[in-house]
Order: sequence, then structure tokens, then C-alpha cells
Amino acid sequence: MPNVSGNAYALSVLSPIRNDKVGTVSRADLVRDRLEQWNRLQNSPMAKVPQTYLCRFFVLDDVYTESLPSAGALDTVTDFLPVVPNTLRVGVLPAQDRLQSKYLVFSSNFHGDLDTYLLGMWNAITAEIKDVWQHCYGFDQVNDANTFSAYIKKCQLPVTLFFVGSNDEPLEEQLKGLYLKQEFARFAVEHQGIPSAELKKAYRAFIARVQPTNLQGPTWEPGQYIMDKQRNVQQEAAL
Amino acid sequence: MTQPLDLTDIQADVIRASAHGGYLFARYVFFNIRDGEKGRAFVAAVAAEVTNAVIWEQGAATPPTVINIAFSYQGLKELGLPRASLNGFPDEFVMGMKARRAILGDNGPSHPDNWDPIWQANRVTRDKDVHIQVSINGKTPQDVEVRTQWLLALAGKPESGVFLLTGHRGPNGQQNLLYQDVHALFENGVPTPKEHFGYTDGISDPVFEGQPGEPWSAQGRGKQMADGSWAPLATGEFLLGHVDEAHEYPPAPQPQLLARNGTFMVYRKLHENVHAFDTLLEREAQTYPGGKELLAAKFVGRWRDNGAPLVSAPDAAAKAEWDQRFATATPQEQDRMLNGFTYDQDMSGSRCPFAAHMRRINPRASLQLKAGALPGQFVGNPGAFDTPGALANRRRIARRGLPYGDSTDRSSDRGNHGIVIMMLNADINRQFEFVQQQWINYGNDFRAANDKEILLGNHDKEFPSKAVLPVDPESEDVPYFVRNIPRLVETRGGEYFFIPSLTALRLIARGLVDPT
Amino acid sequence: MSNIAGKAYAMNVITPIRWYTVWLNKLIFWAAQKMPSTLEGLITLSLIHYARWVIIGRNQFPRLDPKQPKENLQYSYMLFHSNFNGSWDQYVDSFTFAIPSGLDMFWKWNIRYPHSVALTPFHHYIRYNQIETTHYYSAYPLATSNDVKSAKSLKQKLIEFDALWGMEADDTVFLKQYNGLLRALQHDLGEMRPTPIVSMAATQVEKRLLREKRKMAEQEQVAAVE
Repeated sequence: MPNVSGNAYALSVLSPIRNDKVGTVSRADLVRDRLEQWNRLQNSPMAKVPQTYLCRFFVLDDVYTESLPSAGALDTVTDFLPVVPNTLRVGVLPAQDRLQSKYLVFSSNFHGDLDTYLLGMWNAITAEIKDVWQHCYGFDQVNDANTFSAYIKKCQLPVTLFFVGSNDEPLEEQLKGLYLKQEFARFAVEHQGIPSAELKKAYRAFIARVQPTNLQGPTWEPGQYIMDKQRNVQQEAAL
Repeated sequence: MTQPLDLTDIQADVIRASAHGGYLFARYVFFNIRDGEKGRAFVAAVAAEVTNAVIWEQGAATPPTVINIAFSYQGLKELGLPRASLNGFPDEFVMGMKARRAILGDNGPSHPDNWDPIWQANRVTRDKDVHIQVSINGKTPQDVEVRTQWLLALAGKPESGVFLLTGHRGPNGQQNLLYQDVHALFENGVPTPKEHFGYTDGISDPVFEGQPGEPWSAQGRGKQMADGSWAPLATGEFLLGHVDEAHEYPPAPQPQLLARNGTFMVYRKLHENVHAFDTLLEREAQTYPGGKELLAAKFVGRWRDNGAPLVSAPDAAAKAEWDQRFATATPQEQDRMLNGFTYDQDMSGSRCPFAAHMRRINPRASLQLKAGALPGQFVGNPGAFDTPGALANRRRIARRGLPYGDSTDRSSDRGNHGIVIMMLNADINRQFEFVQQQWINYGNDFRAANDKEILLGNHDKEFPSKAVLPVDPESEDVPYFVRNIPRLVETRGGEYFFIPSLTALRLIARGLVDPT
Repeated sequence: MSNIAGKAYAMNVITPIRWYTVWLNKLIFWAAQKMPSTLEGLITLSLIHYARWVIIGRNQFPRLDPKQPKENLQYSYMLFHSNFNGSWDQYVDSFTFAIPSGLDMFWKWNIRYPHSVALTPFHHYIRYNQIETTHYYSAYPLATSNDVKSAKSLKQKLIEFDALWGMEADDTVFLKQYNGLLRALQHDLGEMRPTPIVSMAATQVEKRLLREKRKMAEQEQVAAVE
């Protein structure tokens, strides 16, 4: 199943946005505006959705047919002709395609299966989901997790190739790993060259503090970007 | 080698570092233009004496001085280049180095607030902008002085419309010297290729197609090929108007004659904190198993005394043996020993660490890596990339310049000593700025997260820096951490310049640049 | 509007394909997955968190309501989403320097794809077909793909080490094993800090947003006190 690579899932959703207006503002603009508001929050609402690695939202206004000349097969054919009739010369140019509706594109990379993810998403950020998706065709039928899941699946597109560059661990494992990497790097550097008995003692205290096998223990928060938070954790532990 | 370059059209220092040609003293003089027409007349007078690269041909006579000239964006504007030509210059050149400090990491002690007065005043008010740089390179200080008087006489005439910009810091607390003097460092009256930390500098320089020189000079200096050979880099990496490594002509301003055979030059005055360096070395040498000189070598990737590369001489014993071989080697073999090495046998970095200066500014083919079978091991991944050096070939920089100041007194960091480096490249953003931002002040490509390059990194006190010196994965050694690395090098000023060809120079001087 | 979440950059590229060559494209992608060596260059570059290609048939744009107009397209479309580290320039440059043939293989059947060598036409092709992301989220903005991979390896090795030697009584034995752990992790000990700036423009916008957020946080504090 190409949407899946190991335990990682690539969800690609195109939700058609209603063509009518609210007052004089198009619904697509309202969707965009709502998403912009999310950029101003302390952290993305998606930080609350379990197992989300990386995800994005944007509005697809139209398809693009920008291209560069002389790179198509027909161009090569015309290359060989001694004389190129005008209809053929113009005919090799790509046709102009236009979309009839705008689409809200939601692309998410997460761990696990789709049903669990969508249930988790609905439960975590119901209000935000309604806020953004309310302007889309067919969303008026959505009123609970099941109908949300069914709706998303109708908007889902199958992925042709999903490339996983990092890994497909559960998010908690990834975050814990990053936390341990940061903490252990500091520990190793701070305890260079000290006598073995002292080192062992310090090591055990370190392990007790960072709890490597406890995913509920100290770790990185999803979406965390503030250095201070991590330093405070270390300082509190040192006291 | 393919088509030789038109050496009559290219300024001398672009093809070869004057310092390598016996010009051990140089003076950089900066001017501001107040009147376009008079400025052009001044440029014309200087242009008549600008030295081209013919002097580097085999058997050519070398004059007592080499004169070169370069322009900042503001300078080109004042000289009356049309807007249509000015628009073709890249953003970073237009903005100037000071405005790019967030990219370059020129913060804290390297912040423009701490730069020499001439560079602080640059790009603030029109009358203090640095427009023209004239470099006078001489074999003796007297040669330089003679030419300086000639130059000042040209500029000093009331009708010249050109003003000498002062404001360079000097050895005795001076803030307002007339020029930036640089010179090779001497030991007991003998010139050395050293800089103030004690390293032998300027050993390697990129080799590109069309440069005069020994046919084997591409070894270690060009690009590494899959079959183990070396080839010169495409000329367009260093000269506009020539095809580059991406098989196209680098973006350049119009008209063609303005850009062709010209290049961009990054001028940076770098103060060296010799006391902090000595202290760091002494402190770490107490705990580093290999001793002080090996540790110093680890900072850079070459041994301090003679520049022997660590990949070939990873410890004291190997170094002694390397020295013996070097003493009896032919010039070509010596060059190969110094330059013609690869990191292929050192993918884990146990010989030359990933944090070392050399490896960060030119990783050669060492970024084509993957995890090895042993824990802590990296191995090469031949064939993964189009060519082994694919990620490094378009990030090369040609270096010019010399040290400045005196560092006999190493008891403080407030002395006046460092290097003035002028870096040549066809694309400032893709080459210099990239290396500075991504490879010197950041470590992701080297799998080192945010760890910086030891010597040039903008280490700060808020988040103390460290560097990892890896060990052989098959050994029982422990990786060593160099801790609390202070900022060893601080920026004291600089700007982005354009070095035109002789043709372009004459066009600029006559006010004839026109892209119609 | 932001394509950046800490050290991750979101790229969206949409390009047309002739509907009758879609099967060829899909075949190539299928082959790429079956033969991992084709992705070797991508893996060695190590710049990508996750990336995907989605081919949307010209009749496959979702239609959920009879009131929604039917799409009327002549081409099918390939949608490319990448989450990578570094700036746009670094990413596109790395690909064209290192794996131009790989790029060509994936984009080949797109209409008038200019091939990845020479560089500038390819830059333009991607630039003009690129759509900005409005909202981008990364669960670990401080981490690159290299960091995430390194973290997994470090966690595994640390847990293994602790299970075997964490309660070792003999100090000398412990030290020897601990040193072995450091050796095994010698390339995983870089410290993660905020990203170098991706571009001057992005930094300007980011600074403004940060100022706004700080103001909002201060206002909230004041309101909470009252």
C-alpha cells in the first residue's frame, strides 16, 4: 500500500472549498486566513494531534502549467521538420488547464494507521477542524469522529511514492530519542576524564533523571522550539 | 586542460595569489567617490597601471608591484553604471556584507559595532561608503610605499573627486590609519607562510580550467573523480562568463563585457584571539592523549609546523616518517603529499576530525557517506552521487590576502593581529556565504547537529561550544571533546567587491557600460 | 504564510503530466520502491524527513457534492511534497549536484521538464511550479532528519548499554564499556540548537511574528492577573 512505509503513513487530502462567498469574501480566503491565525499561536494546534511527525496546510488555487520550451517530444519532432507549419508550432505548447474549485490541501506524515490517527485528530482539535473545514463541500455532514473520518477518506488521494528519510517510530519514541541525544551529549562532554567511580555514580544519577525507557518521563514536547524549556528541565533536576 | 584563459584580460591576483608569487607585502587602500566623472578619470588613471595575469606565465618577468582594483556595489553606482546593468548584480553584492551579518554569523564580538571605523561607517552615509579598493602588492615595503605615493597623488589632487577613506585600526590603539597593511610573518628575518596561531597557511587553493601552472596541480585542488583522479574545476566557478560545474554560465550582470573574466571578492578582516587560542590549546593539551601539537593539528587538519595533512600523518610517529619522505621528494611529489590527499580512508574522522577547519571548508568527497558495520563508523558510499565530490565542487573558494599585525605579545586578545582574507568566487551566496553559514557555523551536513568549526566558528558564551574528535572505531580509544571553545576569530570589517576584467575596467572608466 | 518550521522546509510542487503517460510514471515509482538502490542517492543526501509524490488523475480531484462543479482538465497532475532540511537553494542544489539522473527519472514524464542539468532552467521549473505552504508544523523543529536518525540509534545503544552495564559493580569494567559506548556514539553527540537563518526575508517575518507572540503572551499574563 503506497500510502504506507513501514509504520509511517502519508495522508494526502484535497478538500474542495465551496465556491460561494461570505459577504464579499471568498471561502478560500477565509480558510487561508484561519490557517494564518494558527501561525500566530504559541504552538500549532497540530501539536495536540497524536503521532503527527510533520504536516502542512495550504490552499490550492489553481494548477500551473509553467514549463520551458523545447523539452517535449513534439518539439523534437518539429525539430526535424524542415518547415514547421504554424498550427503545429503553436500546437506543441501545453494547453491551459484551470481548476473549477479551490482545494484545501492537508498533507500529514504520521505514525500508525489512518483510523486511529483521524480519531485522535478529531478528539484533540474538534473546534479547529470545524473552523478550517467548515467552508468545504460536504463538510456539513460531519458531526463526529466517524463522519469526519469518512469525509477525510473521500478527500484522500493515494500516494504514488512515499519516501521515509528519517524513520517510522512512534512519535513518543522519536521525541524521547531526541531528548536523550541532547541530554547524553551534554552529560558525556561534562563528565570527560573524571575517575571511574565518580563517573559511574554520575551516570546512574543521569539515568535516574532522564529515564531512557520511560516514554512518559522527561522528554521533548511536540513542536517545542524554545531552548530555555530544555535548560530549565536540566537545572531543576540538578537542584 | 582545455582552452587557456585570456590572461591579458584578467587581473593578476585573480589567477594566482600575489603572496605566492613573491609579493610578501601588500597595502589595501580604499576610496570614496564624490563625483562620477572625476571618479571615472581616477579609475582610468589607476587602470593604466593595473597588473594583469600575464606575469604568471611560465618564464614571465614579475614587476616590483602588482596593482589590482575592485569595486563595491555603491562604487559601481557612483561611477555611473546604468540601472539596467546594476540590476543584474546579485542581491548579496547589492546589500553588502554588513547587511548579511545574520547569515554570516557576525554577531557578538564580530558584530559591525566592533568593526574598524572605516567599516562601521561604510553603508551608513554616502560620503563614507567604501567604493573602490586598490591593492598594492610588493616584494619589499619600499616598493609598496613608492606606489602608495603615486596612488595618493592621483587621488589627492583637488579635482580628483575621490577621497581616501581612513579608519583602520593599528597596533598602538590607533583608530584612523590610512590603509590596511598586510605582510607575511617573518621569523628571524625569514618570511614564513604562517599566520598568528602558528599554522602554515595558504597551502591549498582551487585549480580551475585554463589556469597556467603545472599540469599536475589539480591534484587535491580540483575535483575528485570516481576513478581516483583529479580534474580542474570548471572555470565558471571562479570567473564570470565561463561555463561552471552546472554546465551553464553563472548569472551575471549585463552587458557581457562587463562581467566576463570578472569575479566577486569577499574582503574580510579577521582578528585572531591569540591569547584565547594559546590558553585553549594549553588547557586541552593537559587532558588530550596525543599532546599539544597533535591537538593543534586536529583543530585545522594539518600539522602547524609544515602543514602535513592529518589524513596522511595521523600521529607523531607517522608525522616523523612523513617529514622524512617530504625532505627527499621531488616538487611534484611534495605537492601531492601536501595537497593530493582524500578523506576516503578517513570517513569516520579519526584522523582529520569533522570539526577541523580544512574538512569543514572543503570536505572533498567525504560527504558521500553512510554508516559502517562497526559502531561509530562511517564508510564511503561510492556511486551514490554523480561524482564523489558533488556536494563540495560548487562550494569552493579561492583565497587571497595575508596576515596583518604583530603577535609577539600574546598576553592578551586586545592586540592588533589577524589576517585579511579576500575570497574569490563567481557566486557569493552559493560559495562563500554557504560555507560560512552551513559548514563553519553549523554542522548538520557533518552529522554534528549545530556543532561549529573549531577555528572560525562563531562560538559564544551563552551556549558553550564543543567539538568532538572522533577515534578509530576499531580501536579502544575514547572520542575526545574539546570543550568551552571560545571565539578564536572575530570579524573586524569587510565588504563584497566586484573585480572586473581589464576590458570591463576600461569600459567603466570611460563610462561606456551599456547593456542595450 | 510559512514554508519553514524550525529546521524543516516544506516544498510543494505541482506539475502536469499527459494522462496517457501516467502509467509510465507510476511504473517508475513502483520500480524505485522495489529496487532500493535507485533511492540510494536520496538516502545518502540525508536531507529529507519525509517526501511523497502523488499523481492525481485528471478525473480524480475529489468531488463531494453535486453543487461542486466538475473538473475539466486536460492533464493529470503530479503533486510533490517534501519536508527537508536547509534552505531552498541548498536542497535544490544538492539534488542537481549529486543525483541529477534520479531527479530526471522522477520528473521525466512531466510536461516539458527541462532536465536537471543545466541548473538554472531546473531552478525555474521548480520555482514557478511551487506553491507556498500556509501552515507548517514539525513535531521537532530543533531537529534535522540526521538528528532524528541519530537519536534513534543513540536511544537504542544507551538502553542496551544500561541494561548490560548500568549496574556493573566493577568500576574499571564500567569505564571500559562506557568508553565503548562513547566510541559507538561518537557521531551522535552534536548539540541541537535553533536553525541558521534560512533567508533574510524569512527572518524578517519570523521576527515580526515573535514580537507579536510575545506581546500576546504579555497581554495574557496581565489579563490573568486582573
